[in-house]
Amino acid sequence: MWAIKRYPLLWLLPALLPVAAFIVYPVAYAFWTSLHQVMLLFPGEPFVGFDNYARVLTSSYFRTAFLNSVVFMLLAAPLVVILGVSAALFLQRRFAGSMLVRSVVLLPWVLPGAISAVLWIWVFHPSFGIINGVLLGVGAVDTPIQWLNTPRLAFACVLVAHVWTQIPFAVVLTMAALSAINSETLEAATIDCRNGWKRFWYVVFPEVKAMIVVLLIYNALIAFTTYDLVYAMTGGGPGTATTLLAFQIWRESFAMYDFGAGSALAFVMVAVAALLIVLITRALPSDLFGERP
Amino acid sequence: MMAGRGNRLSTFLIATLILMFTGGPVLLALYGSLVPDRVLLSRETSVFDYGLSLESYRYVFFGELPPSYLVEGANRSMISDAARQVPQSLWNSARIALSAMALNILLGAPAAYVFARYAFPAKKLSFMFIILSPLVPTTALVVPIYMLMQSLGLIGSIYGIILVHTAQALPFTVLILSVFFRKLPTELFEAAMLDRCTGFQGFIRIAVPLALPSIGATGLFAFMLSYSEYIFSLVLSGEARSRPVSVVMAALARNTDVSWSLLNTSIFIAIIPTLVLVVLVWRFVVEGLLSGSVKG
Repeated sequence: MWAIKRYPLLWLLPALLPVAAFIVYPVAYAFWTSLHQVMLLFPGEPFVGFDNYARVLTSSYFRTAFLNSVVFMLLAAPLVVILGVSAALFLQRRFAGSMLVRSVVLLPWVLPGAISAVLWIWVFHPSFGIINGVLLGVGAVDTPIQWLNTPRLAFACVLVAHVWTQIPFAVVLTMAALSAINSETLEAATIDCRNGWKRFWYVVFPEVKAMIVVLLIYNALIAFTTYDLVYAMTGGGPGTATTLLAFQIWRESFAMYDFGAGSALAFVMVAVAALLIVLITRALPSDLFGERP
Repeated sequence: MMAGRGNRLSTFLIATLILMFTGGPVLLALYGSLVPDRVLLSRETSVFDYGLSLESYRYVFFGELPPSYLVEGANRSMISDAARQVPQSLWNSARIALSAMALNILLGAPAAYVFARYAFPAKKLSFMFIILSPLVPTTALVVPIYMLMQSLGLIGSIYGIILVHTAQALPFTVLILSVFFRKLPTELFEAAMLDRCTGFQGFIRIAVPLALPSIGATGLFAFMLSYSEYIFSLVLSGEARSRPVSVVMAALARNTDVSWSLLNTSIFIAIIPTLVLVVLVWRFVVEGLLSGSVKG
């Protein structure tokens, strides 16, 4: 009676249930919370309709945080993809030490965001960081640059660190897509077309296009929702220069104990994310989940 | 392809650039952990005056005060207690990540097998459900999951974190494992069916033993996800006793009092497990992914 063939869904349940419990249920719950006044300091959870949304969307920080997140996303996603794809193309080459480079490229992937943050704080440190050390050493600047204490520079620094953490995944997926290209096609292209750039554009790129689109949207999603790295590096500052939307959810909920507003903000993010997910599924080739021939 | 001298030079330069960008910050942390603060924080003294030492490592693990601090009566607050939390947090992280890994294999492998070998009505729907669920931004889930865990009384323990990490990694486990299971030759299972094996026996006796390396690799992936996760670990861990590495590291990072060489030491200690993982992951997961998942 437990036969897999008869009851396949029964065998899926152990995997489906936790996912449902910790993703579907919370999303539903977040929606409920966003419609109620849920504050830890005040008992009772009265229904307030869309008040939380109105309050969050009209607040002064929302504009700043939303704009920061959008700019962050528009810069981070293309950067990750361009650098990741370039690195993946390069790593196709075999040379002495290529395995070392291939392994080291993965390193940022497995580091907790907080550790990556500390590593980059260290790199950008005004007095003791290596970048200022080199710049001062060669005489390019006279006084140390306040990387993380100048609004625009801090934003750029956080961006660099974020791109650093996301490159490995892009490299791995692109290499997987590249390795799927028929080697005869490539050889023929090498003979026909000496220009490396043209070869990439007309032969390689069409083959990995789907993967690049997926990567781009995936990275847009990650960049739009990231928060731990930026929080650990700058705490959202200086001022509000690096305050991202996801960070604001955290602040509303756990610093101000206003779970209703936090959830409303979270739901705005889910809406944006859902839009991105729709884009992702549209971009996926339709035969990706098909039956094996 | 042609490997002219110019080509080889450009290869070397690009490889160096990639190594410096991806590995550089980590190397800096290693260096920072081995020299005392006064070398790190001054332009006059250099590493050649004092040499490398393991004193920060001894402090983190055994609580021995670094002699350089005692000698110069250095500011006591520079030595943060938070750095002493690192060994305990490593132990917490190990328990959390290993449990999440084991649960992922136990819960994910059967599902992956079913997805790989059976056709059934809601297959595409349930597969899409699993694949797309990680795309929900985690920040949106933090508050509800916090409240859920609170009602279950699991705040301040590692068990709540284990549950959440398991659920977060499961979609990836199922996806990767089903790719691996699909690569097993169909004939084996057909032969097993002729011998009156049930589907479950086919799974336990044929699929699992054959895919054991892949299962291990997928487990590593779950381990990795859990080890580096931050938000839920922070919110659910509560007091210092049950904090995993990622949370302690973030606390250290925001603490302006901590000594730089201690900070770097903590970083490097926390990185060591991931260094081992990088090699293992590359060998098993990535090479496996490269050798056919996309083609299959």
